[in-house]
Amino acid sequence: MADKKKRRRAATDSDSESDPLQFKSKLKPDSTILQTLKALKSSAATSSAAKPVTLSDLNLPTACREVSDLPLTSVQSSIESVVLSLAHSILSGNGFSFSVPSRAGANQLYVPELDRIVLKDKSSARPFANVSSVRKATITTRILQLIHQLCLKNIHVTKRDLFYTDVKLFQDQSHSDAILDDVSCILGCTRSSLNVVAAEKGVVVGRLIFSDNGDMIDCTKMGIGGKAIPPNIDRVGDMQSDALFILLVEKDAAYMRLAEDRFYNRFPCIIVTAKGQPDVATRLFLRKMKMELKLPVLALVDSDPYGLKILSVYGCGSKNMSYDSANLTTPDIKWLGVRPSDLDKYKIPEQCRLPMTEQDIKTGKDLLEEDFVKKNSGWVEELNLMVKSKQKAEIQALSSFGFQYLTEVYLPLKLQQKDWL
Amino acid sequence: MEIRGSSESPPDTKKSKSKTPRKSKDDQLLKQKSPAEFFADNKNIAGFDNPGKCLYTTVRELVENALDSAESISELPVIEITIEEIGRSKFNSMIGLADHERVDAELYDDFETAKAREKRLAKEARLQEIQAKNAALGKKAKAPTSMKSIKSREASYYRVTCKDNGRGMPHDDIPNMFGRVLSGTKYGLKQTRGKFGLGAKMALIWSKMSTGLPIEILSSMKGQNYSSFCRLDIDINKNIPHIHVHEKRENEEKWHGAEIQIVIEGNWTTYRSKILHYMRQMAVITPYAQFLFKFLSESPDKNVTVRFARRTDVMPPAPLETKYHPSAVDLLLIKRLIAETSKQNLMQFLQHEFVNVGKSYAERLIGEMGPDFGPKMPVKSLTSQQIVRIHQLFRQAKFDDPSGDCLSPAGEYNLRLGIIKELHPDMVATYSGSAQVFEGHPFIVEAGLSLGGKDVKQGLNIFRFANRIPLLFEQGADVVTRTAVKRINWNSYKINQTQDKIGVFVSIVSTKIPFKGTGKEYIGDDISEIASAVKTAIQQCCVQLKSKIVKRIQAREQQERKRSLNKYIPNATGAIYEILKEMSRSHASKKRRSEDKDAELLKKVSDQIVTEETLREKLAQHVEQVDYEMALEYATQTGVNEEPREDIYIPPLQAEYNFTEFHSPVFVFRLVH
Repeated sequence: MADKKKRRRAATDSDSESDPLQFKSKLKPDSTILQTLKALKSSAATSSAAKPVTLSDLNLPTACREVSDLPLTSVQSSIESVVLSLAHSILSGNGFSFSVPSRAGANQLYVPELDRIVLKDKSSARPFANVSSVRKATITTRILQLIHQLCLKNIHVTKRDLFYTDVKLFQDQSHSDAILDDVSCILGCTRSSLNVVAAEKGVVVGRLIFSDNGDMIDCTKMGIGGKAIPPNIDRVGDMQSDALFILLVEKDAAYMRLAEDRFYNRFPCIIVTAKGQPDVATRLFLRKMKMELKLPVLALVDSDPYGLKILSVYGCGSKNMSYDSANLTTPDIKWLGVRPSDLDKYKIPEQCRLPMTEQDIKTGKDLLEEDFVKKNSGWVEELNLMVKSKQKAEIQALSSFGFQYLTEVYLPLKLQQKDWL
Repeated sequence: MEIRGSSESPPDTKKSKSKTPRKSKDDQLLKQKSPAEFFADNKNIAGFDNPGKCLYTTVRELVENALDSAESISELPVIEITIEEIGRSKFNSMIGLADHERVDAELYDDFETAKAREKRLAKEARLQEIQAKNAALGKKAKAPTSMKSIKSREASYYRVTCKDNGRGMPHDDIPNMFGRVLSGTKYGLKQTRGKFGLGAKMALIWSKMSTGLPIEILSSMKGQNYSSFCRLDIDINKNIPHIHVHEKRENEEKWHGAEIQIVIEGNWTTYRSKILHYMRQMAVITPYAQFLFKFLSESPDKNVTVRFARRTDVMPPAPLETKYHPSAVDLLLIKRLIAETSKQNLMQFLQHEFVNVGKSYAERLIGEMGPDFGPKMPVKSLTSQQIVRIHQLFRQAKFDDPSGDCLSPAGEYNLRLGIIKELHPDMVATYSGSAQVFEGHPFIVEAGLSLGGKDVKQGLNIFRFANRIPLLFEQGADVVTRTAVKRINWNSYKINQTQDKIGVFVSIVSTKIPFKGTGKEYIGDDISEIASAVKTAIQQCCVQLKSKIVKRIQAREQQERKRSLNKYIPNATGAIYEILKEMSRSHASKKRRSEDKDAELLKKVSDQIVTEETLREKLAQHVEQVDYEMALEYATQTGVNEEPREDIYIPPLQAEYNFTEFHSPVFVFRLVH
């Protein structure tokens, strides 16, 4: 693989003096590219056919905590048992205290076999009778009560709704959101099974048909904007597709260009974006697509440390939600572009590249220390190049060759050359 | 007493601001300038920029001389400084000039033409209208905007008097000590407040430039039965004193010290705060001195009298004169040392004229210099080339760092006392670093940190001292300011940089303070040795304070714990009771079998035996209990509650006893009869 890459680089280097737009002439007919994509799809299908490893199979030396989807009734009964024990404790004069799994960085573990972050089993006490934890303990009881109500009525609310039920106590939505994650950990269920969802953020367009709460949605007929990814994954089902791959896009602008140019009609694919850092719904949706349709996932992110970070959140999970990483992560995402090596390869003009700030460089160096980057030698190489050249570029830098350069030259050429890591 | 600075002009004069060459012929003439002339032309070098600053610098130089004088005989300084405003008519009568009425009013700069007056009156009328309107609307009437001072640039004059209880001056030396620029007692390698022998003379030059009045000196030394009175001014062209009166007077009360009186042009209004700040900071760094500062004005309501009382008898030891460190000398200096040395041969010269060169080390150095050199060669016979070789070797060879023994820092004790005395802070911490070296000169950094206090504004208040004198100007570029503002992470010491009243005191003493710029006002931020020493010193103070601050926060938490816990009880119990109620309802309807204990609880809830009130009471009881336990634990940890103590200082009674003093540079030995 490394050999091939070098040869490819040498090939592109040889005609480096020529006009960058002449990359277009290197494009082979679409049918050839489609052939390579079909090969990719079938290889992805076979590789994912293997039974996925679960945490319990590994017998890790450290105990780990994972949550699962629970039906409403069991969420309700676990809330009730927690509350009963609290009430007993209060009545016997001992106040009350929660045992909350710690979601701090020290309690996270990257498991290379699973290729995702999991949560270790350390937990901390949250007693009521302590000045530093009284507020959190109170908010926790309040959230428990609100979730209990949702269970009884069997409805969904957004995080914002939840916050507004007691603004005076919660003060800031970030407080109630954080406690909500704590409650999922305490009860051992996913956040979706608490019936609390985030507002819609992600969108999908392309060769995908699925049912949303019973209505069939054809994502090729959703206009340019695409279909908003339902915040509640339970509503989604019956996925069908004739796509060859899933294209994961970091940004709205690039997504717009792809959707408007109907990129998915030229190369059958599904285009997804979460407009920046991915929310839970988009990650769940991506995983569901990957699992059910067995399609390869290619990612198009900015050439900066944050692009890679977003990629890692899709792939290995975020630290904040690592307790549910089993459901939220999508394995085997390929980094298609824009990669630091592309800047020279595609002769991105200097004025479109940005110098990295101190903070950027620090983030890049920190990323190099992360296990999920280290496991992929290609990524390490790219990231090293980025930190060394101290240059970053956004996907939009490609627009310097024309707005449609991305869809007409860059992506097809990348696909033709199988240039993903 | 060493007096240098003969009539030959120092090298500086030639470099003095060469005026743009005029075409006139007399420009071709080679002119000589006396040092006094040079400093008269460039008085800003010595801090005499404008009348206001001149007043400030004059006060400063006189106070510092007085302190040096008292400390040199180990006498606790008592210094009285008086600034007396002199009105124009009084000034005119002083110099024997009759008052003149203005005849041709239009001649003057502040004359108001008819047009200008119309304009001003219209403006004032408009202003009044607006104010009336505002008043009618019930708006807070703003203080009338201060009219542009109609007072013109008319000069104001001040008589500055400084009286101390120091050494005094020998009768015959007085004229040269005041009337000759660049003559002084403070030359040599030693930590001193002044350095160039300029201060009092510059004040005299300024008085000659602005008022033309002479300086008056009254001085008496210990054991003299007379006092010397001298009235003199300076002949700027020749750099020699011009004596009006020089006589011996009676000295009945056996006073010793000096009283210097000078009349200069100044500006009290703009430099009032600077002068007062200076006095206050001086009191911080020298708590063993007593200062009485008076400002007398023609209108008594403007008078200011501030007394800075003495708080301790402990004086830092007088700094010692030290020898040069080999890495701190230059070619010229080596030549001078050779010219002045009493040692005969090279070996002895190296051994005795420099610090940190022992006998064996001197031998090794001479061996390294080359075959031309020998330990016995007469030092005065060295050629220029050979001296260059010695200089090169001094630069390259490794020497032990000079020790800080020759320095006289204020001391942690005095710094702390000074801070407490003048600021009355809630908390104070001090730290004294060990001696460090910059370019062959030892330096010591001491720092103090205070929180709270009176007359301290919120945020960082920085007090800088160099060789125990306060630095007031050019604060922004100073190493201390830069370090405190940019390199200290105050948050990590639980100090709020913007909200707390933080006092940062840094005192640097050295045989050579690397001042930046001409007027010794600040120390540059580019010397990493000093910058890091300052940072460490401040951080050490922060560390000391942190534990105190944490304790204070704990104490506050202690008081508020119960209240902040009780605040949340209704919320928590409300939520729990709601769920219990829902459960008991469904429990009753479904008759679901649950565990006995739980079923019992739910039954109690549905029977209203356990209500929200019950939960609330139980939780409140628990909070009460926890609070009690923690209070107990807190009390056992911290011990008995300490009331803040006020330090008191009891000055000794002036015992009447006779003694003989034996002086040494380090101590004074008093034999009481």
